[in-house]
Amino acid sequence: MIRLSMLQLRVQAITAAVALIAFAVLLAATGPHLASLYAASGLRGCQPASCGQRASSFLKQVNSTGPYAPVDLLSIIIIALTPAVTGLFWGAPLLARELETGTFALAWSQSVTRARWLAVKLTVGGLAAIAVTEALSLLFAWWAAPLGRAAALGGGGSGVGMNQFNPLAFVTHGITPLGYAAFAFTLGVTAGALIRRTVPAMAVTLAIFAAVQIAMPLWIRPNLFPASHTTVAINFNDSTLDLYKTGSPHTFTFTLATDGSVAGQPGAWIRSSGAADAAGHPVSTVVPSACSPAASSSGPGPALANCLTSRGIRIAVTYQPASRYWPLQWAETGIYLVLSLALAGYCFRRLSRLS
Amino acid sequence: MNAAIQASGLGKQYRRAWALRDCTLAIPEGRVAGLVGPNGAGKTTLLRLAAGMLTPTLGTITVLGERPAAGPAQLAQVGFVAQDTPIYSRLTVADHLRLGAWLNPGWDDHLARHRISQLALNPKQRAGSLSGGQRAQLALTLALAKRPGLLILDEPVASLDPLARREFLQGLMEAVAGQGLSVLLSSHLVADLERVCDYLVVLVASRVRLAGEVSDLLASHHRLSGLRRDPGTLPAGQEIITESHTDKQSNLLVRTDGPVLDPAWAVQPVSLEDLVLAYMTRAADDGPASPQRLKVAS
Repeated sequence: MIRLSMLQLRVQAITAAVALIAFAVLLAATGPHLASLYAASGLRGCQPASCGQRASSFLKQVNSTGPYAPVDLLSIIIIALTPAVTGLFWGAPLLARELETGTFALAWSQSVTRARWLAVKLTVGGLAAIAVTEALSLLFAWWAAPLGRAAALGGGGSGVGMNQFNPLAFVTHGITPLGYAAFAFTLGVTAGALIRRTVPAMAVTLAIFAAVQIAMPLWIRPNLFPASHTTVAINFNDSTLDLYKTGSPHTFTFTLATDGSVAGQPGAWIRSSGAADAAGHPVSTVVPSACSPAASSSGPGPALANCLTSRGIRIAVTYQPASRYWPLQWAETGIYLVLSLALAGYCFRRLSRLS
Repeated sequence: MNAAIQASGLGKQYRRAWALRDCTLAIPEGRVAGLVGPNGAGKTTLLRLAAGMLTPTLGTITVLGERPAAGPAQLAQVGFVAQDTPIYSRLTVADHLRLGAWLNPGWDDHLARHRISQLALNPKQRAGSLSGGQRAQLALTLALAKRPGLLILDEPVASLDPLARREFLQGLMEAVAGQGLSVLLSSHLVADLERVCDYLVVLVASRVRLAGEVSDLLASHHRLSGLRRDPGTLPAGQEIITESHTDKQSNLLVRTDGPVLDPAWAVQPVSLEDLVLAYMTRAADDGPASPQRLKVAS
């Protein structure tokens, strides 16, 4: 039965192997030079005071020279799409094509019970989908390791040095890709069992998988663990901080980028930021009258920042510390694996009614 | 003698509609049994229930003494060729033999290869490019080479041209003779069944209207014609299956175990086709109020 599954997956397996090799060649061709740039940047063993500076200039160099930024982006796109592709082309046809073409009658009249048939098919196909996705992710992790280290040293921002919690980075590194692969595959199989036609099952698989992948970073991942809270001083020179003033009387707004810095928490995931006093209680965002002269000058400048600071106003930050990275990876992967098992269980329950 | 297939009160419901209802049937082992009936009688449902493709909504069915698809051992005992003889169009002929060998502990590789070479099929050819007749032969080869005790074939020759049909049935008969297995096949062509079957089941609107050895059935049915008379005057033991009358003449098809002695009748033997049509007609005339339209295929 294992051999039959492999025989039927032959075309898909060859396609996947070719894609995997092409990806490996691309990364192998550019990876060593990226590592040598990192070695030349002096980031290894840098003094804490100079690390941030060196990391920024290293990332700036990588961003602007060579093929690194496009390769980085391409890899992210490939790894993010691979689970959907395996779900569509391996998962959805698994039952739907047998039902559509009538070959289920051939498959299920051999001397193998259909429960065993499905168990082997799900295992072989699911493990193959997981293996391909995770292999891509591991190759990319090896390639992007210098970028990750530089980002963790505080040189982060956008592009190649994105924070590890950036949704694009989070879904392409670590163990989450294998959870997505398992989920997309079983989702495809289930859609095929319910719809019984390959192409509509593929469409439904794509729609549901996309919806889940959008819902996850927006509403679920941030709430998997209670966020931490702290207040930080207004640092006008921080490039990740935006200070706006609007309206009349003037009000001000802080916006700290997702991958902004929290003192003592490099690599944290900023969820929200706002004005607060030293104790962390929210304060009015109307510019205090004492600061009006500073605010009325053109644009929110350092004068306004200094004045707000002198009035005891700080930035309240809600964030997930960097140490939550792996707990979040495990929790999210666990959710997807549980969903996959539930879908697989449903397929088994439905199996006797499929023909 | 054991029953190859035994069904009792068997019913299968799809959503609201019953595809088969209250079907009771026993087919002895070692027969080549033909299943005939109008479209919608429940033939395919009955065969799929017997092959374990479906589970009954009501009643019971046992195949060679066990519930269909009860486990690998039971599945190994039953060869099934579904309607339209499905095969994997992307796999080659050789791939099909390989999957048969992998999935069936009793696989007879010699038999499979012998049949394929006899049929002059190219093992490297994709099954999707085979002709209808070759497809059917490949499906039959898969079902035979697992060495089943019972072979179930659902309209295996329906889509074949007359030559391919004859070759298929010939191959089937050779295999039956060689392997001594029981066969149940459905067809809407009585002529096909006449050539191969020694047992006949007529199914109309889920109900078994007639079942028995073909030779017994032919011996016990007669076509009577003579001057017009009241059918009520027939002796006891002569059951009228169909009757038609003109002003002067009566034509009857009767069932009787004894000989017809009345010299007023001209007695003629019946053909299997006559017999099947007679029982279908009778079922349509006096059967239970049924929405099924009787459509006798030619």
